[in-house]
Amino acid sequence: MTRKEVIMSVREAASMIKDGMTVGIGGLLTANHPMAIIRQIIKNGVKNLTVVGSPAAGLEIDLMIGAGVAKKVATAYVGGESLAPIGPFFRKAVVDGTIQMWECDEAILCTALRAAAEGLPFLPWLGGVGTCLPDINPDLKYFQDPIKGQTLLAVPALELDVAILHASWSDPYGNIQYVGNTYADILMARASKKCVFQVEKVVSNEDIKRNPHLTKIYGVDAVVPTPYGSHPFSSDGFYDLDREHLKEYVEAAKAYTKGNPEPFNQYLKKYILEPNSHEEYLEVIGMKKLLSLYRW
Amino acid sequence: MSRNKDYSIRELLAAFISREIKDGETVLIGANLPACRAGVLLAHLTHAPNMRWLQFYRANFSDVKQIESFEFVTDYSGFKYCEEVPEYEHLWDTIRRYDVSFFGGLQIDKYGNINLLGIGGQYPKLMFRGPGAIGQSTITTYVGRYYIYSERHHPMIFVDKCEYITAVGWGDGGNSRKKLGLPGGGPKYVLTPLCIMDFEEKTKRMRLKSVHPGVSIEEVKNNTGFQLIIPDDVPETEPPTKEELQVIRTRIDLKGTLREL
Repeated sequence: MTRKEVIMSVREAASMIKDGMTVGIGGLLTANHPMAIIRQIIKNGVKNLTVVGSPAAGLEIDLMIGAGVAKKVATAYVGGESLAPIGPFFRKAVVDGTIQMWECDEAILCTALRAAAEGLPFLPWLGGVGTCLPDINPDLKYFQDPIKGQTLLAVPALELDVAILHASWSDPYGNIQYVGNTYADILMARASKKCVFQVEKVVSNEDIKRNPHLTKIYGVDAVVPTPYGSHPFSSDGFYDLDREHLKEYVEAAKAYTKGNPEPFNQYLKKYILEPNSHEEYLEVIGMKKLLSLYRW
Repeated sequence: MSRNKDYSIRELLAAFISREIKDGETVLIGANLPACRAGVLLAHLTHAPNMRWLQFYRANFSDVKQIESFEFVTDYSGFKYCEEVPEYEHLWDTIRRYDVSFFGGLQIDKYGNINLLGIGGQYPKLMFRGPGAIGQSTITTYVGRYYIYSERHHPMIFVDKCEYITAVGWGDGGNSRKKLGLPGGGPKYVLTPLCIMDFEEKTKRMRLKSVHPGVSIEEVKNNTGFQLIIPDDVPETEPPTKEELQVIRTRIDLKGTLREL
């Protein structure tokens, strides 16, 4: 019997995500988001997802809200820093009640993922005691700890049906390596039932063995080769974010929330619905633009 | 905004922050507070070469001639300065070891509690939805001391009571923090374009500590939405020295971001 390779196409990987699932989206702020698979999920018309963002998530979650795939969102931030301090769709959807927000701070979200990873119903956490978070997120419950009698928060486990993550490279067996920061990806992988990885490139098993200390995650269900797969966000060690594209997105999202849906509908059509594959998406973005994103 | 030709408000605040930092301290820097970042780096390049700088990586800049400023937290070109890339979740495993951090808010109340969630109305139907708690609930629980930083001093920001609290400062005053079991040292100073404020030792109510050169006590009072404690003696905030400005402008703030305010 031979060892199992887990290479998958974007379509195959995205087809694992079904209506109503709880999915985790990796990366952090403006880096390392699994955009090729997110775009395919939107194309597939998946609905009612509970989206667990990175503890400090970026505009990829805003896009998922705007495209109507998210019903519930858990993260401590959705925005694009100076490009959009708060995601336009996120802001409107929370205030209008069209999505339900699992309010937390970054460490509370990590605690919830950790509880899931360890198969516990909850883990205690002190950060958030005395704040408004337990009032606006009824899942966070005060309890007296049985050792010292201190008041703590019980943070329930957030188990992910599928964690969707983006890393530097992998071999065909799913030895996932990073050149940059792993952000909260390791926690998400551990908190998931199934784990899908986009990678910038696939390398040989020999390459992996040359630097085994770079392997951060193993035992994943899919490795999806997606060069430039985090575009328009950055990918640590590979390319910078596409400022122009993100500005176009933010403008379109803002217009939508102010009553003019046209620019965002155009955005969806041009970048998500019409391209038939990740490669076609990259053609729309253009070689010149992609090659300009390298910085050191 | 600056009322003095020689330096800007942000440069003044950066110099103030720099003098607060001791060598060897671990400093946690968040996003988008350029004056705080510059103040910490000024300390690092002058009297605190052993500082542990933590963003999403740990870096030591003490031998760097000119430090690039990065618009985005995750900017990979920052990695050239970094000595360690701790796994993000391990930031929380070492949470008891951070000495200093900085936080802003939509609302800041008389006990130094912060609201970054939103204002106006019953959650979730807020008139203005803010970013949310981000990292501040937990970091303010543990960090040795922190500084509240606001680039506007206005009665809508400095309010009697926060509508929502994302970071507990001195709670309801007095020994609130202790009663809640929060081990960190709480907010030390509040920095604004008009003044520096601290907290009265017993009640933990916000108190004027110094006014920036050219600012009157009256102006501070009129722009604060609660009754600030005004001591008999209110000195002027010490302006940055020539040497401090030199380091800021030639090694830290190459783009001149600090001179914009």
